Amino acid sequence: MKIDPMEIADFRTELERLHGASFGWALSCCRRDATEAEEVLQTVYLKIFEGKARYRGESSLKTWLFAVIRKTAATEYRRRLLRSLRLAADTSEANDLAAPFENQTASFERSEVQTHFQGALKTLPRRQREALHLVFYEDLSLREAADVMGVSIGSARQHYERGKKKLRESLTRMEMGYGNNWGRQENPSAV
Amino acid sequence: MEIIGDDKKIRALFSEAKLADAQATPSFTSQWNRAQSRALRPRRAFKLSLAAVTALLVCALISLALWSQYSQPRGTHSVFANVPARTSLASPVVKTPDEVPTNRVQTATVHRPSRSRVPRSTAQSGALTVASNGKAAKEATNIDNWQSPTATLLTSQTDGLFKSLPQLNENANELKSFLPGRANEKEK
Repeated sequence: MKIDPMEIADFRTELERLHGASFGWALSCCRRDATEAEEVLQTVYLKIFEGKARYRGESSLKTWLFAVIRKTAATEYRRRLLRSLRLAADTSEANDLAAPFENQTASFERSEVQTHFQGALKTLPRRQREALHLVFYEDLSLREAADVMGVSIGSARQHYERGKKKLRESLTRMEMGYGNNWGRQENPSAV
Repeated sequence: MEIIGDDKKIRALFSEAKLADAQATPSFTSQWNRAQSRALRPRRAFKLSLAAVTALLVCALISLALWSQYSQPRGTHSVFANVPARTSLASPVVKTPDEVPTNRVQTATVHRPSRSRVPRSTAQSGALTVASNGKAAKEATNIDNWQSPTATLLTSQTDGLFKSLPQLNENANELKSFLPGRANEKEK
């Protein structure tokens, strides 16, 4: 079932406006894999184009779009996992050769702190990572983040707090490694 | 939400990542056009894996049907046919061992018909009835021949005297003969 072309044209403008944020969210859902994120975003646009994903105005467009991206990314991840299990023997050698080189080039482009930050984010549980990304990266409120994640606001708050705590600990460890304990600056009056 | 201390630092790190991502973001137009081309692409009529699974399922079902048809025992129907019909349950006929048709099942299984058209369950129940009848007859014979271990204590030498009554016209001497031997000696 396809939706009305006029409707699509209006929708397209809105989607274009949100494209950057959508790609960032897709990246987060795909564990910072740009190729996978592009594919997910394409699939999301396809779903919208074919009318499989329809916006009914129950929430903001951004929240709805992010929820669709999240679900699509999860589905694509499962599909990829099955495919990789099937072709495990063939691809393992190729990945072993390609992955270190790719990681090296990527890390050269980023600052050391940013690399460590991304590494710390990856160690967090998925829900916590999502909550932090939605609040800090996408500037969503906790309620909106909860809507995107499909959980209650209390649960979203808990994920957010726990994720922040873990991230802070990880970053403090890194700073201590460099001789600068910035974690202490959180509450300077405390002795 | 007030952002203090390390929250600011986390936000700054996220902003840095956001800037880096913005540079790597593919253009919306290319993404949209690709999605549109994917939508317009004709889909495959059927998936190969789905077809293979369906074919396997059909084969399995056919083989199961064939196996169930040919694997039922051929002799059961004839056994059932030789079972005498019981007219009433109130008066079961208990046969002596001579009357019990012990060789009937054997002869029945020897003469097999070419094809059994009786349903499998009916034939099985018939065979069970034959077996239960034979068992019942054997048990009835056993019960009939059974004797109590104390039965010998109930018999004595004078059983004949007790069973035969004296006649009214018999004389005293003859009547005395009716009495046990020991009592006759005391009178003498």
